[in-house]
Amino acid sequence: MLRRALVMSLAAAALVVAPAGAVSDHYRFGGDAVIDSPVTGSVQVFGGSAYINSVVDGEVLVIGGNVIFSGAGRVTGNVIHGGGRVMGGENRVAGRIYPLATIEGAAASLARSAAVVALLLLWLAAAVVLTLAAGREIRFSSVEVRASALYCFAVGLVAVTSFVLTAIVFSYLIPYLAGGPLLAALAAFAILTKVYGMVAVFHAVGSLVAGAKTREQLASRKWLRGDLAMVVIGLLILGALRMIPFAGAVIWSAASIFGVGAALATKFGRREPWFLAWRPAEA
Amino acid sequence: MNRERCQRYLEDPDAHRDHLAECAACREVFEDLDAKVTGRPVRLEALPLAPWEGAGYRAWPLVTGGALVVVAIAAALFAAAGELREVLPPADLVLSLLRLVGGAAQNAPGSWQIGIVVAFVAVNAVLIALLRRAPRGLDA
Repeated sequence: MLRRALVMSLAAAALVVAPAGAVSDHYRFGGDAVIDSPVTGSVQVFGGSAYINSVVDGEVLVIGGNVIFSGAGRVTGNVIHGGGRVMGGENRVAGRIYPLATIEGAAASLARSAAVVALLLLWLAAAVVLTLAAGREIRFSSVEVRASALYCFAVGLVAVTSFVLTAIVFSYLIPYLAGGPLLAALAAFAILTKVYGMVAVFHAVGSLVAGAKTREQLASRKWLRGDLAMVVIGLLILGALRMIPFAGAVIWSAASIFGVGAALATKFGRREPWFLAWRPAEA
Repeated sequence: MNRERCQRYLEDPDAHRDHLAECAACREVFEDLDAKVTGRPVRLEALPLAPWEGAGYRAWPLVTGGALVVVAIAAALFAAAGELREVLPPADLVLSLLRLVGGAAQNAPGSWQIGIVVAFVAVNAVLIALLRRAPRGLDA
């Protein structure tokens, strides 16, 4: 879910580099598109199917519908589709046919697992650096995840939705030059929030599973104590869960939402209010 | 009891020490407070373990071991899988998707655009309302 949100945010950011020829693109929202005459530019259908009966000199993107070829229908670029199928597309697409499922990673495979584990290494490096640099803040956010889990989830869910909508609204400002920097700042903030929040969630999971409950337990431990250990244990546990087909992606997305929520709810562990409440001075 | 003098004592107890001798109400309150603070023995070992206790320890062997385990698993999976082309989204696909979806918002019908703006305002209002709550976590 978060990945989809980030893709949407980046998609809006991509307008900065969109070619000037994009004016010939064809859009269809909430209905089918029937291409009966040659089209120069891309064809995009959201919430409907595309019937390609003539030449599309560009790319085709269909979300929530099928791509159906017939007659002289063919596409010179790529066909990207999600939530549907491509029918009759054999030898009619000059580029490649990409189902969005490959991006979402719904299908589990050995290679995908390898990529996921390799990404875990990056997460491990980020987690170690962040914990060494801001251990106290991470710990405070981790405590917040455990003390107010529902609140963190609610904040995370609303915040992710807000990121996507804000990215879309900022994309309207692209022609006025302000949109590019605003989108870049939003993307940077979203990534920072996600990374910080995930490390806090690693710490929370590690503390829940392997944290010492008493002083005697703490004193008897040699390695399994401290913020760094909790973060690593949590990362390994969530990483292992991530390997489960489909459920792993759901768990990781849920952890991301918890993380974004915890990061924002605690203002990145700084324990400062985002908004000061105004009250009239008392006489 | 003189409220004004009581107030002055509360604001600056050291400057108005004599007030305690003449005001029974304040004396009673402060004796009670002192008794609660100083009279109760505190057994530190009986307190629950605080999150910050032992938090500064850096478990480098665990970090190194964890990293090695991850590297070993990744290497084994890579060796078994062969190549990654089938799983990683190709760069041209990502670029195409970004370019295509990026233009969609501005070309959406008016009703969709109004919906986006309304949702933007509503969701951000809810986010601001949620963020007004103070964190409730224990002292970390």
